[in-house]
Amino acid sequence: MRKFLAVVKREYVQRVRAKMFIVSTVLLPLAMSLFGVVPAIILNMEGSRQRVAVVDRTGKMYGQLKQALSSEQVNQQSNSNDNDPRRSTGFGNFVLEEVNADNQSIEQLRANLDQRLRARQLEGYVILPPDFLEHGQAEFFNRNPGDLFSSRLLQSALNRAVREQRLIEAKVDSKTRQQLFRPVELQAVKIGDTGAERDSGGSFALVFGVGITMYLSILMYGQAILGAVIEEKETRIAEILFSSVKPFTLMMGKLVGVSLVALTQLAIWGLAFSAFALYGVGVLAGRGIRASIPTIPFSHYIYFGLFFLLGYFLYATIYALLGSMVTTVQEGGQLAMPVILILVISFYLFLPVSRSPDSSFSFWVSMLPLSAPVAMLVRIVTQTPPFWQIALSLLIGFGTVLLLMWIASRIYRVGMLMYGKRASIPEAWRWARQA
Amino acid sequence: MAASEITVKLDRVSKRFGDFTAVRELSLAVRRGRVFGLLGPNGAGKTTTIRMIVNITGPDTGNILLFGRKINAEVQNRIGYLPEERGLYRRMKVADQLRFFAELKNVGGKQVESRIDEWLARLKLSEWKNKRSMELSKGMQQKIQFITTVIHDPDLLILDEPFSGLDPVNLELLKEIVLDLKRAGKTIIFSTHQMEVAEKICDDICLLNRSEKVFEGSLRDIKSSFGRNSVAVRCEGGDGVLDDPALVSKLMRHADEAQALLAAGADAQTLLRRLIDSGAVIGKFEMIEPSLNDIFIAKVTEAA
Repeated sequence: MRKFLAVVKREYVQRVRAKMFIVSTVLLPLAMSLFGVVPAIILNMEGSRQRVAVVDRTGKMYGQLKQALSSEQVNQQSNSNDNDPRRSTGFGNFVLEEVNADNQSIEQLRANLDQRLRARQLEGYVILPPDFLEHGQAEFFNRNPGDLFSSRLLQSALNRAVREQRLIEAKVDSKTRQQLFRPVELQAVKIGDTGAERDSGGSFALVFGVGITMYLSILMYGQAILGAVIEEKETRIAEILFSSVKPFTLMMGKLVGVSLVALTQLAIWGLAFSAFALYGVGVLAGRGIRASIPTIPFSHYIYFGLFFLLGYFLYATIYALLGSMVTTVQEGGQLAMPVILILVISFYLFLPVSRSPDSSFSFWVSMLPLSAPVAMLVRIVTQTPPFWQIALSLLIGFGTVLLLMWIASRIYRVGMLMYGKRASIPEAWRWARQA
Repeated sequence: MAASEITVKLDRVSKRFGDFTAVRELSLAVRRGRVFGLLGPNGAGKTTTIRMIVNITGPDTGNILLFGRKINAEVQNRIGYLPEERGLYRRMKVADQLRFFAELKNVGGKQVESRIDEWLARLKLSEWKNKRSMELSKGMQQKIQFITTVIHDPDLLILDEPFSGLDPVNLELLKEIVLDLKRAGKTIIFSTHQMEVAEKICDDICLLNRSEKVFEGSLRDIKSSFGRNSVAVRCEGGDGVLDDPALVSKLMRHADEAQALLAAGADAQTLLRRLIDSGAVIGKFEMIEPSLNDIFIAKVTEAA
C-alpha cells in the first residue's frame, strides 16, 4: 500500500507542481470569463443613445412607433439569457423626436434634417410616407448604415406599430389585440412513478454536462496517462521499479495519480464556474430576472458522480493499455484515435436512449462498459431503471477497469523485458497470457 | 558452509523465451558478505538470471531462495538492484527521486533524509541535491542511479554492469564504495562482461556461456588451479621461438610485450633458455597468473 501511495504521490506532486498545470488551470476560467463577460461589457459600452427624428406624414404612426419601440426594448432585455449578445440592451437606446411635417415640402425637411445630422445633433431620421400604412415602405437615413442592429430594431418596432395601427383601423378592440399577440408556452413534463412531476430539463442539461466534462477530461488527460505509462520505458526506469513494485501496483498508482490531477483541475474549474454562475444569477436577480436552479433529486447527483468517474476511468484505462503496448507517446497518440471515436459514438447514443429509455437496446448499451456512463445517466433521468440495473452497470464498468489494468500491466512487463519493441495486437495478447 | 551463510541460492533454474533457452539448469550459491561475479559474454544469460533473482520474471523450472526464503515483498525490500538498462526521471529533483526510490522499498522518514545527504556527500554531489536530473552530466546521473540502489540500505546488492561508461576517477570511487559495502557485511552480485574489472573486486565468480554455467568457485581457487603457466615477455628477436607450438600454445601480442601461454609439458626455464640461445635481447621475462579472460577462454574451449 505504501508503495502504491508513493507512486500516486509522485505522479500527483510532479504534475501539479508543473508550470503547465498551473497555467492551464488559471487560464481556462480566465478565458471563459473573457469570452463570456467582455463582449457583453463592450456591447453595453457601445450602446450610446440613438437620437432619431421621425417624420410622420401619415399623422398617426408616431405614437404607435414610440410605444412599440419601448416595448421592443423591454422585450429584448428580458430575453437577454437567450445567448445572443446582439440582443443586449445597448442597441435599444433610441431617443425619438417627432418632426412636424405639415407646412414644409419633403425636400426642405430633408435638407434641414441632413444639416442636423452633419452637425451631429441627430444619429438618423425616418421618413414615413403618407401611404405607409398601405404599402409599408419607409426610409431610414443615418450616418452609419453599417449599424444593422439599430435598423433591424427599428424595423421590428415599425412592424409592430403598423400591425397595431392596422388592427385599430379594422376596429379590433385592445383586449382582442393583446389576445392575438400572446405567445404560447410549451412545457415538457416528466411522468414518473410518483405521478406527474415537473420537467426533467435540468437533469438533461446535467447529463449533457457530465458527458461533455467526461469527454473533455479524457481529451485532456488521456494523453497524460499515456505519457505517464510510457515515461518509465522512455527513461528506462521500469526495470528498477519492477524490482520493488508489482507492475499492477505501478499502473494503478499512475492511473490514480494522474486522475487525481485531473479531478483537482476540474474541481478548481468547477468552483470558478459556480462562483461565476452565482454571480451571474445575482446580477440577473438584481435586474429583476429570476434564474431558478433546476431541482434534481439528490440521488441523481450521486449517480452523476459515479458514472462520471466510471466513464473517465474506463477511457483513461484504455489509454493506459495503449501506453503499455507502445514505446513512444506519438505511437500511442495514433492508436488513440479509435478510442476518441468510440467516445463520440457513445455520446451520440444519448439521442436514441432518451427517446426510448425502456427498450432492450437502451438496456444493453447501458450495460456495455464503454457506452454505459452516458446511456445509464440518460435512463436515470428519463425513466429511472430498477436499482439492480444501475448497480450491475457500475459493477461491470469498474470490473472492466480492473481487468483492463491487469492486462495492461502484464503487457507492460513483458514489453519491458523486450526493449524497444512495439507490440502488435496478437503479440500483446500473447504477452498478457505468458507474463 | 552453513545455510544461513548463503544469501542467494539457485537450484537447477531454467528459463525459456519461446524456442530460445536463456538459462539452462543453472545452480549456484552466493555467500554472505562476498562479492560474487556473474560473468560471461553478451547474451550468456546473465541479465535473465539476475531478473529471476529479483523477481522481475519467474523461472520456468527450478527454485530460487533469497536469505533462505522464496521471494516475497519483504525479501524484495532487502535487495538493491541496479539494472544495466537504467535511468532517472528527467524532470524530478535529485532529492525527490532518491526519496521516491526509498519509499518504493518501504523506507521513509527522517532516516532517509540523512541517508540522502550522506550518500550525496560521499559521491561528491551535495550541491546537486535540488537540481533536476536532466541538468546533470551523464556521469553524475550514473552516480545518482547507484545511490538509488543503496538508499534503503539493502543486504543484497545486484549490480549489472555498474561501471560501464564511467570515467577512471568515478570508476575508482564507485569501486571503493562497493568494497566498503562488502566490508560492512553486504552481499554483492556483480555482473559484467569486462573481465579485468571483475578480476579486481570479485571474491567468487560464476562463468556463464551460452545459457550454461561453465565454472563456479572462488577466484583464488580457479587461478591457482590453472597454475602459473603464462609468461609475459618483452624481447627483440626470438620470434621463431615464441611461435614454436611445442613451447607456446597461445601467443598474444600487445603493444610492446607479448603474453605466452606455455604448452603442456613445456616449462618457463626451457623457453627462457631457447630465447637466449636464439640471440633475442630480453627486456622482461615474468611468470604471471592467467588472467580471468584467459581462464574464461580456456574453459569455454575446453567445454566445447
